[in-house]
Amino acid sequence: MAKKMAHLIFPQKLIKKPVIFTMAKKYNVIPNIRRANVTETVGEVTLELSGTKENLEKARKYLERAGVKVEPVVGDIVE
Amino acid sequence: MSYVKGLKCRECGRLYPKDPLYVCEYCFGPLEVDYDYEKIRKKLTRDAIESRPTNLWRYRELLPIDSEPTDGLQSGFTPLIRAKNLEKVLKVKELYIKDDSTNHPTLSFKDRVVAVALSKAKEFGFDTVACASTGNLANSVSAQAAIANLKRYIFIPADLELGKVVATLIYNPTLVAVEGNYDQVNRLCSEIATKYKWAFVNINIRPYYAEGSKTYGHEIAEQLGWKVPKHIVVPCASGSLISKIHKGLKEFEKLELIKKVDTKIYAAQAAGCNPIVTAIKEKAEIIKPVKPNTIAKSLAIGNPADGIYAAATVGGSGGWAEDVSDDEIVEAIKLLSSTEGIFTETAGGVTLGVTKKLIEQGKIPRDESIVVCITGNGLKTQEAVYEKIGKPIKIKPNITAFEEHVMK
Repeated sequence: MAKKMAHLIFPQKLIKKPVIFTMAKKYNVIPNIRRANVTETVGEVTLELSGTKENLEKARKYLERAGVKVEPVVGDIVE
Repeated sequence: MSYVKGLKCRECGRLYPKDPLYVCEYCFGPLEVDYDYEKIRKKLTRDAIESRPTNLWRYRELLPIDSEPTDGLQSGFTPLIRAKNLEKVLKVKELYIKDDSTNHPTLSFKDRVVAVALSKAKEFGFDTVACASTGNLANSVSAQAAIANLKRYIFIPADLELGKVVATLIYNPTLVAVEGNYDQVNRLCSEIATKYKWAFVNINIRPYYAEGSKTYGHEIAEQLGWKVPKHIVVPCASGSLISKIHKGLKEFEKLELIKKVDTKIYAAQAAGCNPIVTAIKEKAEIIKPVKPNTIAKSLAIGNPADGIYAAATVGGSGGWAEDVSDDEIVEAIKLLSSTEGIFTETAGGVTLGVTKKLIEQGKIPRDESIVVCITGNGLKTQEAVYEKIGKPIKIKPNITAFEEHVMK
C-alpha cells in the first residue's frame, strides 16, 4: 500500500457532489481527511490517500478530470 | 546555546522536537520554529546587537541554530537607503529602499535563508544539500554549499534560461535539469526528499530556512534607529518572506527592542501570477492556485505554500495588495535605476510598480514613511529589459561624428 498526502481544491459547482466518495469506491483508495474548509464559493480538503501506486495515480487523474485541483500539501517548491 | 524549544504546527499547534520535519503528521499543516522568548529577552538587547558584526547573525538568538553560525558570515545587513530622488518623482515625504540586490554572495535575499538552512543542515549532520529552484535559490545554495564544502544537488526545469543555468553551474553543483513542467519538478523533488537523506532547504529544512527571512525585518527596524516604518511593500512568491518580515518586527516588539508595531504590510505580485493578491482583495480564506504567466519568474509560484499566512499577515496589519502588468514591471525597474542607481530584477519592478500604484490609489498616504523591499539584482534578469532601454549611440572615432550624432 502506498500513501499520498494531497490538498484538494473544489470549485463551487463541485461542492455538493460526493467526489471523494466516488473516487474512493471506484479506485479502491482509502481517504483519511485531516483538515477541511468549505466556504460558499470554494472548498479545500487536506487528506491522506492510501492504495496501490497505480490506483492512487488513477484516483488523482479522476479528481482532476472532475474539476478538482490536486496540489501537493507543501505547495509549489520550485522557487 | 539554543533558544529553540522545538517545532510547532501552524494549524493545530501540536509540538514536535527540533528535527528535520516540515509537516504535521496529524493535520498536515506546516511546522514553524518555537522559541523561548523569555530566555532571549535576557540576552538580546540593542547594545548587544549593535556590538556585533554587520551580518544577519547579529540577531542570532532569534535564528534557529544551536551552535555557532558557520555560513553566511558576510550575508545580510544590506543598505537601507533614503530614496530622495524617488520621493520627488512619487511625491511622497519619506521613502526607503531596503536593498538586498547587494546581498552576499549571490545578490538576493535568498542568501539570508540559505545561510540559516546550511548552518542547520550541518547541525543535523547532513553532508548533502539540495533545492528545487529556477533562479535565486539555486544560485545561493550552489554558492554557499561550495563555501561550506557540502555536496549539492540543484533541480531545475529543463527549459530554464541560459543565464540562470550559468549563474548556478559556475559554483559546480550537480545540476539536474528535469524534462517536465514546474508541477513535475515539484512532484519529483517531494519524492526525492522522502527517499534520500539530504537537506532539501525548501522542503525538509523549510521551517528553519524560512526563519532567515526575519532578519530582513529586523534590519529595517534597526536601521531606522529602532523604529518601524508606517508602510512596507513586499514582493510575494510563496508568501513566506512577507509573513517573516512582519514576524521579525513583532519579535522586536515582544522583546521591547522597539515600540508597538503599527506597520501596514502590502503584498506585491505580478498580474500574471497573483493568487495571494486575489485572495486578499476577495477576503478569501482559501488560495486558488493559478498557472503563472509573467516576466517576474522569481515570483511565479502558482500554488504558494504560505499564501494563506501571507494574506492573514496583510489583513491583520491593515495593509492591502496590488498587482502590476509586465509593462509596469519594466517601467518600475527603469524608474528605480534612473532615480536611485539600483538595478533590480523583475521582482523589484513588481514591488516598486505596486508601491507607485498604491500611492496613486491613496491606499498609502504620501506623508508617511514607506519601505520598498528590493530582493534581487537586475543583472540576473537582463532579458526582461534588454529590448526596452534604448540603444547606445554608435559613432566613428572623431569629434565631428561625436558632435553630429550626440551633441546635435
